[in-house]
Amino acid sequence: MQEKVGITTTIPVEVIYAAKMVPVDLNNLFIKDDHPQALVEEAELKGYPRNICTWIKGIYAAVLKNKDINTLIAVTQGDCSNTHALMETLQLAGVRVIPFGYPFDRDYDLLKLQIEKLMAALGVTWQQVDETKKRLDLVRQQVWQLDQLTWQQDRITGWDNHLYQISCSDFNGDPEKFGQAVAACLAKALDRPQINTELRLGYIGVPPIMDDLYDYLEERGARVVYNETQRQFTMPFNTSDLVEQYRLYSYPYGIFYRLLDIKKQIALRQLDGIIHYAQSFCYRQIEDLIIRQQLNLPLLTLEGDKPNKLDARTRMRLDAFLDMLR
Amino acid sequence: MDAGIDLGSRNVKIAFLSKTGQLDLHKFDTVAFYRKYGRLENGQLVVNFADLGWGDLTRSVVSTGYGQQTINVQGVKNTKSVSEIKAHVTGAVHLTGLNDFTLLDLGGQDSKVAKIRAARMVDFETNDRCAASTGRYLENMIAVLDITMAELSSHYDQPVELSSTCAIFGETELIGKLVAGHPVAALAAGVNYTIFKRIKPLLLKLASPVIVFTGGVAQNQALKQIISKELNIEVIVPEYPQYVGAIGCAVIANKSK
Repeated sequence: MQEKVGITTTIPVEVIYAAKMVPVDLNNLFIKDDHPQALVEEAELKGYPRNICTWIKGIYAAVLKNKDINTLIAVTQGDCSNTHALMETLQLAGVRVIPFGYPFDRDYDLLKLQIEKLMAALGVTWQQVDETKKRLDLVRQQVWQLDQLTWQQDRITGWDNHLYQISCSDFNGDPEKFGQAVAACLAKALDRPQINTELRLGYIGVPPIMDDLYDYLEERGARVVYNETQRQFTMPFNTSDLVEQYRLYSYPYGIFYRLLDIKKQIALRQLDGIIHYAQSFCYRQIEDLIIRQQLNLPLLTLEGDKPNKLDARTRMRLDAFLDMLR
Repeated sequence: MDAGIDLGSRNVKIAFLSKTGQLDLHKFDTVAFYRKYGRLENGQLVVNFADLGWGDLTRSVVSTGYGQQTINVQGVKNTKSVSEIKAHVTGAVHLTGLNDFTLLDLGGQDSKVAKIRAARMVDFETNDRCAASTGRYLENMIAVLDITMAELSSHYDQPVELSSTCAIFGETELIGKLVAGHPVAALAAGVNYTIFKRIKPLLLKLASPVIVFTGGVAQNQALKQIISKELNIEVIVPEYPQYVGAIGCAVIANKSK
């Protein structure tokens, strides 16, 4: 069986596939567990504080539970510093940890060096990595089409847009099989009538910890036609240079670079409003004040803590936001 | 008649609006109300209006309140739910006749601030998963001070500095100040000031020349004084501040024909 490698967020996944290993996005592993909240509670019992990001706690317990994950690639720069302690506590539990850092200033040479260190750790060459990129790009192009069908032709639900794009962090461990699932979704979408909703929303920030947000909005006549981070996971850049691809990728870099992308997509996709999601206890909650100053359309800041359903308070705030947009 | 129901965390408020615009207001303790008139059916809270004896008199009902999505009113033909903020904005516009103002609603367990222009909400803020600066906090504080709500509501001079608006930690801090020998009047003023400090950033962010102050906490005269003095602004408390959401619902029910 191929060896599984856990990743804490999107990294140059080409390197893992080139090494004939299987990447596992640990966020997905946690949130797709039958009882994600039980994982969070387990991490708390082990000593993780209550006032710490739920994603970190869920990932920690998910890795302990899934004994077939013995190697972890952890993003030490470009995500949050909680990851450092996550690495250390998993290291203590006997997991091999490989750090990966996105340079804050998007420096090409530093990023190349990081990628080459990862390649050395997994024992692959540039030729293998470039070939793998071509293989993955075929699948990515299908997902780009799915995103286009979302906002240009109104044929994809906000949830499907979220789900298929977010899955591009690890291609569910099997790019070709995942590609077939995307193709099936595309075929079905072209077959059905357009989804007409009164309001078009954008969703920015980290993916939501609750899985009923998109349906809740759609039942109330508002569809998400832009998922910022999820879309970034599909590397929508059309470059053959792998280093440049992960330099254009916006999520690990500063808020101002992300905002360039967000503003462009807002204009393209004709949005009525934006939902900015921030996880409880996350430093990105601070960046909300910058986002509010920089974006010129109605914005709702949503905070999520526990998985994985909207609470009454959040539903009330969503209702009020939609009322306001009408 | 049309009716509006606001299912609050502490009280259920019901407002009837007659054809001539006359209001008839009723209030119930929330827990007692649910025990007597509510039941859960397929995950939905069902409130039976016929049991309350108002089924035949009522043409339509609009409800709001915590988790309003799951409320189903039986015994009346025309029913629907609206969001809490919409209910409060509609009620405030109806009661004050104003079209441009900032709405401040402090209820039993939550607080809302909304900016209203041309009688429409253009922006809003709410507290998040915390009952600080709400009626529940004040109830806890008067219990510690062993005074009535009316007494608490009369003090705003020389406030004692309190840092916490947490409904739980606030108690500990207040007891510490009490032990230190501060007079009750200064402690009461301090409690009122902590609420002001908590909502001040929201009021500045969504500022207007006039604030319409609603919710049960709006009966606190001292807080009204503090907001007006500190922000140098006109604060209007409508006649039935606790019923604004219910009245808003009744107005929406009335217009929905």
